[in-house]
Amino acid sequence: MLPSVTDMSKPTDLVQGTLDLLILKLLAIQPLHGWAISRRLRAVSGEVLQVSEGSLYPALHKLEQEGWIRAEWKLTENNRRAKFYELTRAGRRQLQTQAASWDLLSSAITAVIRLSES
Amino acid sequence: MRLERWWTTLRLRLRTLLRRGQMQHELDDEMQFHLDHLIDDGLARGLSPTEARAAALRTMGGLTQRKEEARDMWGLTWLTDLADDLRFALRSLSRARALTVFVVLALALGIGMTAASFSMLDALVFRPYPVPDPGKVVTLVSTSRDHAFEQFSYREFLDLQQSARSYDGLVASGTVFGVGYSPDSRTSPSVKGGMLVSGDYFRVLGVEPHLGRSFRAEEDRVPDRDAVVVLAHAFWQRELAGDPDVVGRHLRINGRDFTVIGVAPQTFPGMFIFSRSDFYLPLAMGRLFEATAERDLLEDRDARVLTVRGRLRDGVTLAEARHEVAGIASAFERSHPVLNRGRGASVHTQLAMRTQADDVNWKFGAIFTVLGLCTLLVACTNVAGLLLSRARARTREIAVRLALGAGRGRLVRFLLAESLILAGAGGAAGVVLGYAAIQALRRFSIPADLPVTVPFQMDVRVLLACVVLAVTSAVLCGLAPALQSTRADVTVGLRSADVDPPGRRGMWGRNALVVSQVALSLALLTASFLMARSFQQSVEQSSGLRTDHLLMARLDPRLLQYDTARTQRFYTQLTERLRQVPGVVGTALTQNPPLGLDTFDRIEFVPEGYDMPRDRESLSAPSDAIDDGYFDTFGVTIARGRAFTAHDDSASTRVAIVSEFMAEHYWPEGEAVGRILRLGGRDGTPVEIVGVSQTISYSSSLEKPADFIYLPLAQKPTARMVMMVRSTGDPLQMVGAVRAAVHAIEPDLPILEIRSYEELVRYSNTEGPAVAIRMVGTMGLVGVLLAIAGLYGLVAYNVARRTREIGIRMAIGATHADVMRLVLGNGLTLVAIGTGLGLLLGFALERMIDSMLFGTSGVDLVSYAIVVPLMLAASVLAAYLPARRALRIEPTVALRCE
Repeated sequence: MLPSVTDMSKPTDLVQGTLDLLILKLLAIQPLHGWAISRRLRAVSGEVLQVSEGSLYPALHKLEQEGWIRAEWKLTENNRRAKFYELTRAGRRQLQTQAASWDLLSSAITAVIRLSES
Repeated sequence: MRLERWWTTLRLRLRTLLRRGQMQHELDDEMQFHLDHLIDDGLARGLSPTEARAAALRTMGGLTQRKEEARDMWGLTWLTDLADDLRFALRSLSRARALTVFVVLALALGIGMTAASFSMLDALVFRPYPVPDPGKVVTLVSTSRDHAFEQFSYREFLDLQQSARSYDGLVASGTVFGVGYSPDSRTSPSVKGGMLVSGDYFRVLGVEPHLGRSFRAEEDRVPDRDAVVVLAHAFWQRELAGDPDVVGRHLRINGRDFTVIGVAPQTFPGMFIFSRSDFYLPLAMGRLFEATAERDLLEDRDARVLTVRGRLRDGVTLAEARHEVAGIASAFERSHPVLNRGRGASVHTQLAMRTQADDVNWKFGAIFTVLGLCTLLVACTNVAGLLLSRARARTREIAVRLALGAGRGRLVRFLLAESLILAGAGGAAGVVLGYAAIQALRRFSIPADLPVTVPFQMDVRVLLACVVLAVTSAVLCGLAPALQSTRADVTVGLRSADVDPPGRRGMWGRNALVVSQVALSLALLTASFLMARSFQQSVEQSSGLRTDHLLMARLDPRLLQYDTARTQRFYTQLTERLRQVPGVVGTALTQNPPLGLDTFDRIEFVPEGYDMPRDRESLSAPSDAIDDGYFDTFGVTIARGRAFTAHDDSASTRVAIVSEFMAEHYWPEGEAVGRILRLGGRDGTPVEIVGVSQTISYSSSLEKPADFIYLPLAQKPTARMVMMVRSTGDPLQMVGAVRAAVHAIEPDLPILEIRSYEELVRYSNTEGPAVAIRMVGTMGLVGVLLAIAGLYGLVAYNVARRTREIGIRMAIGATHADVMRLVLGNGLTLVAIGTGLGLLLGFALERMIDSMLFGTSGVDLVSYAIVVPLMLAASVLAAYLPARRALRIEPTVALRCE
């Protein structure tokens, strides 16, 4: 579950659970399949965040087991069968909780970083 | 977790578990979909299809790994792994059918045996009272110098109720055997068992009646006033067809009309193990059920026949309750110095009562459970041995798995799964076997017309014990082999098929198994032989009385409200009539024939001229009231003095006859005849000893010689008596004559029990121990079979394992004798060691059985002389048969085989 930044050779650890948050957020907008999630994440983050398959699918399956997302086989626009994930109600609540705690954490970190050194 | 989420995840988990294949398939599809898109990407960037595919796979970093990572998220991996293990184990077991069958049978025998004996122990000792919160119910006992577990009298119970503060209520109960019951006054009575209980019995025990109500406190206040009865559920079902309108009905009990006020619930069969009461009656009605007119249950402070139980108040400890009751007992002693001299009191839990007050049951159950566990241990060691050799034969397979990267833990788990399956099957078969054994035990019926139950049953508790046993034996059997075989050195294992790894460290476990099998089964077999023989001896030496050609009929004229004088007249008339019947040689009246099922009344006495121990007020001995025909009819000789005659009646001097043992006990030098005994105490009624009778076995053929006092029936009038009729022919042919004689005098009097005396003696003295001996014998035999099979397996395995070695030896000139020595030597050494240990164990077991059951001592050499050679012969044969196979080895073939 460690998404890495674009520079694959030097992966930077992101805060634990961040990938879950990102997935939940993307799925909150619309149901997506795994491939689309990885594309979308890349595009939305301006190519900064790129998730490897080794992290994405375990994360999806874990979220499904937790009951936060559910999967359904549907046809894509190219008429191929794909496993679409969508948010459950429990997942929506989970997203709110996680987003709130992320806000808290990131503003706290930002505040620390911006401490004036003078 | 919210309900909705719980529901989705549960559905998913179930799907993961049950539709695993489909889940896998979907995962494949999902990954493929992703891969396809990656390839498309590559193509779009202008790569060739092959390059695009390779690049995509590189990016994915291995499809299988990705799948496994995703799968690990499903949770439940351990469970699905277990399912895999079990499936695989099943497959590999089905390839070794003979082994599987043997192992399952061995475990089934062990578990079944243990289950059966545990059901006995459970019924006799551990099963709690059938009341709510049974742990709080304690038993109060009166203690005297001779006995630590005596009961209380009604008067004492009332005082206890007044002064004890440690309880949420105290209750008293007394069993009355042989209550005459008829549904109405026209039908002649049949015999039932009843229980006298104090007014708040049901309330304090927390038993709610199934129908109607239980007793009110005031129904137990005034003697003989409230004729009300609560029926037992089984009785209500059986005798009254579960009549829903039974409350308010009148039933005739001992000649009086009783009003039914309620029916006890089915869940409450009574507080005793063996006897089940048919009805519950208020204690205040107790006089109706008294055995002798001499005693008044409700008035006499020393009529100690009531079991007193209490429900401990919350927060009161047993020690506090004991302290309190001891204080009350010393208050009794102060207020009634004569009757309560040296008498204390204590409080015990149910378990303590069942293990200490009546320790025969407990010892019996415990011995059998230990023996059952021994059988199970033999079975387990055997199975472990077999699995060990199987695991070692698979050394190579396991080495390959290890080399391929299987974790040791996973392998151990797999091997354990195998033994778990075996134990599961063995446990299931064991339950069936145990059930059969329990059914056999239950058939051991007691020839009495009273409701007596043998409470052994296959219930949840026994089943639970079986499950625990099965799992334990799985671990015992499986763990050692699993650990050992996975420790194997990979390189060595791969090089050779199934040769021992260097060093013979592995063998000693195997050897220890065979030694312990031989030892345990030898000990078991010896034990059963010992029990059989000491029992046989004690029966042969026993009694000194004649049991043949005797018919016994138990009578109780109180069932018709006879008074003492009328009862006496009845017995005199009956005796006269019967003695005139052709074919009757003699008759006798006794309260309780020797070797019967009832206990004798104990009487207190002080022998005149005997130097009483300083701290004793009186002595006590069992006694019987008999008529003048007793000694002739039972064939008991009068050693000195005379027997009773018809002249020893209420008008003449009071007399007694004592056993020879008692005469020598108190008058070792002088003559007992002519001495005076004072009955009841120093100032009690003087009776003159007029005769000394041969000492016989009174209560049981296993007892030691004992004090015994006979009193003439005419001087100790008793209502409930047994008429013994000695005839020239088959005693059962006299049944009609006895019935006719009884009914000619009193048409309505039921005969409580009529049977041949031999049958009674056989039951009470032979059948119980015979069941025990058969059980131990079966266990021993099973043990021997298992041990022999184990030994056979060991030698066969050794021969197979050393085929190549033997081939080489024979090729360079070893003779048949050399080869035999090679393969047999080890097995025979083990047998020798096992026999030695088994003998030691047998001696120990003999000590235990003797001290617990027979009270004899010394080593019974005959048993050993029979068992040891048999055992040796069997084990040598078991070793020899597979060893012969070694002789048939062709060196050329042996050398070629791997």
